[in-house]
Amino acid sequence: MSSAQNVEKKEEKPMKLEDILQSDIWNVDEDPHIIVDYNKCKNCPNKPCVYLCPAGCYVLSDNGIVFSYEGCVECGTCRVICPMEAITWNYPKSGKGIFYRFT
Amino acid sequence: MRIVVGMKWVPGTTSVRIDPKTGTLIREGVPSIVNPHDMPAVELALQLKDTYGGEVIALTMSPPPAIRGLEYLIGMGVDRAILVSDRVYAGADTLATSYVLAKAIEKIDKEIGKVDLAIFGQETIDSSTAHIGAQTASWLDWPYIYYAHSVKLIDNNKVLVERVLENAIEDWEVELPAIISTHMKALKPRPVRLINKIRYKVEKPLITWTNNDMKLDPRCTGLKGSPTIVAKTVDVPEVPRKKVVYKPKDGEDAAKWLIKTLMEDEKASKALIKALKEGGAK
Amino acid sequence: MNNLPDLPTKFDVIVIGAGPSGSAAAYLLAKKGFKVLLIERGRGLGDKNLYGGRVYAPPIREVWPELDKEAPIQRWVTKERISMVQGEKVITFEYKAEKKISFVSYLTQLSQWMSKKAEDAGALFVTEVTIDEIVMKDGKAVGVRSGPDFIEADVVIDAEGVNRLLLERLGIVERLKPDNIALGVKEVLKTGASNIESSFNVGPNEGVAWVIMGDVTKGIPGGGFIYTNKDSISMGLVLHLKHSMNFIENGKFDEHVSKLVEEFRFHPYFRPYWKDAIISEYGAHLTIEGATHFMPSKFAYPGLLIVGDAAGLLLSTGYTFRGVDYAVYSGKLAAEAVEYARNNGGFTYENLETYDKNIRRSFMYNELFKHRGAELLMNNPVMMAKYPSILMRVMEKMFEGEYTQETIYNALMQALKEEKVGPFDLISQAFGMVKSL
Repeated sequence: MSSAQNVEKKEEKPMKLEDILQSDIWNVDEDPHIIVDYNKCKNCPNKPCVYLCPAGCYVLSDNGIVFSYEGCVECGTCRVICPMEAITWNYPKSGKGIFYRFT
Repeated sequence: MRIVVGMKWVPGTTSVRIDPKTGTLIREGVPSIVNPHDMPAVELALQLKDTYGGEVIALTMSPPPAIRGLEYLIGMGVDRAILVSDRVYAGADTLATSYVLAKAIEKIDKEIGKVDLAIFGQETIDSSTAHIGAQTASWLDWPYIYYAHSVKLIDNNKVLVERVLENAIEDWEVELPAIISTHMKALKPRPVRLINKIRYKVEKPLITWTNNDMKLDPRCTGLKGSPTIVAKTVDVPEVPRKKVVYKPKDGEDAAKWLIKTLMEDEKASKALIKALKEGGAK
Repeated sequence: MNNLPDLPTKFDVIVIGAGPSGSAAAYLLAKKGFKVLLIERGRGLGDKNLYGGRVYAPPIREVWPELDKEAPIQRWVTKERISMVQGEKVITFEYKAEKKISFVSYLTQLSQWMSKKAEDAGALFVTEVTIDEIVMKDGKAVGVRSGPDFIEADVVIDAEGVNRLLLERLGIVERLKPDNIALGVKEVLKTGASNIESSFNVGPNEGVAWVIMGDVTKGIPGGGFIYTNKDSISMGLVLHLKHSMNFIENGKFDEHVSKLVEEFRFHPYFRPYWKDAIISEYGAHLTIEGATHFMPSKFAYPGLLIVGDAAGLLLSTGYTFRGVDYAVYSGKLAAEAVEYARNNGGFTYENLETYDKNIRRSFMYNELFKHRGAELLMNNPVMMAKYPSILMRVMEKMFEGEYTQETIYNALMQALKEEKVGPFDLISQAFGMVKSL
């Protein structure tokens, strides 16, 4: 790195979700607390979970929805908005899952 | 069977964050958890108790906040827990820790009842030394076997331990009392049960031993009893990840996609070709 | 050793959930000598709780008079702000209040404080246990089940929160619908106490509650919020879920929701308040929009009382939000009903039903119906877009003339024309709006 005069911040940009989520703490359960029936997802035209799951647990890939439960913040949004009722939703067991501190 | 199972109360790994401004670790509000690699050990102990009866005692050397971890284990079904806690144990490396643990196991053996087996996890997520099982066995002069996946009692004072290595599954006959370390993937731990948590609150099956109880020479414990010296620490630079998600149709599709994606990446394809050549694989 | 016969498997009252409503009920009942089991799925550190940031104190003081002295209060709200945002244009109202009736707090810490109160009062507080089912027998709740364990009680108090899986499983309420639910997404930004005090111009224990309407949600009904903690700022967005789905369906919203929050964080008007702050936490929670539609048909069932969010007791007027104090107050009413039942011949439905009656007689129920119109209005995307837009145009014409400026009258008339709203429509709608507020 050169001297301070040669360094200049040009821009500040919003963070990506995956980086924002670094601020959170989980103790991930061994078993998923949410089960997605991908067969039902195939017929879902809009896939609102991809946009509205605040933790980005639902990702659109070439072959449809990919779901991962590890980063779930247990809000329940996906269950409420799923037009196909494809989601079996539960809370994690044994105190596992998200661990909020300052919310 | 009386089984002692070791537990370490460790900071949750996902919670280790660096303050971008100061470059120091952010520790505010960081919760600790039961070392995840201890969970298969606890599960194995509970399964042995389910099969052969007896008692499971959780043991930790730690400052008092570890009681929350012991409560968790009692929630899983551990019968009682012992916290060994004293200022003179602070700053211990694995040698000084295993010394205290060995002495505590001796004390359990003498005062509570004969200990048949002590089970530890493979290693901890905060230091990953995998020393404790072996060292405790050395102090006690008990046989020791690691990477255990399952344990069967074959007669009154012998167990058959199956362990999984990188190249083979081995069966070992081990005479009791013995020490076992479980493989980190050996068993899935059972969830906490409501009735066990009620029992914890009502009966408080928890014993605390300070050095007044243990009567150990302080020169052998804590920082004083620790020959380990931290010579240097090195920051490991973070490798940027691409974080691509692909949902394959089957295993073959997954493999094809993975090879294709890696070969499209300049760096990755070079490394892959080099590895294939060196490994002699086709 | 596991299932000793002397372990208690029967309680007077089981409370499911150690949030504000459950802890209040458990605390009051334990204090009156009831044998109470309080069950929490988290680790008992408030770790599953999240809200906007503000709590109204007076109803809570009825349960805990020591609240002001002991509770983990971050700052008392002394300034109320409302902003309307359109692009980079912002109109902000500020009201400096005289009384201190509400405070900002981390709900995690506040819940922990409340559940500790319940435990200290003698409730058996069990953490890290998720309840699978409220067990019914002959139409009456008789206890709870978690995995293989059944624990019996005369009364079960359901304080499970907004997702109310247990009530749904019992068939007491329908499956949660996006029509009455909003998603709150929140970032906690650590910036330092002196930064907050100088940039918001508040004293050491004073703080700001700030509601933001307009563009921050890209037109989706909802809004933004900002609350000042001691050394951090809670900020984020609330999005009505049904409308969010409609926006997605119509192609008007195709980003991830976190991007909206980040754009709000980088909005040039708000950014200076937390410029160099680091994100110390990110999270989300559901909240109730249209409480009167969300409520179960009864608040009391045989052997079962429903409190807090699970009972739909959350007021959202569009400019203020009250959930925590309503929760605590409903917990108090539930505890009183249980006590009434004990003193009047037992836990019959007739006796427990006093809870239902007292909820309906309470200030909360009255408020929820009184503000019903506001919810409808705030959730009307046309209303939410049109009026700020007219106001923005008026302001622009009044203040952004380079050589000449418009009179207020002309500015308004031009703005109405540009927005295709007749003056008569404006007056009648504005009247309707004020009436419903």
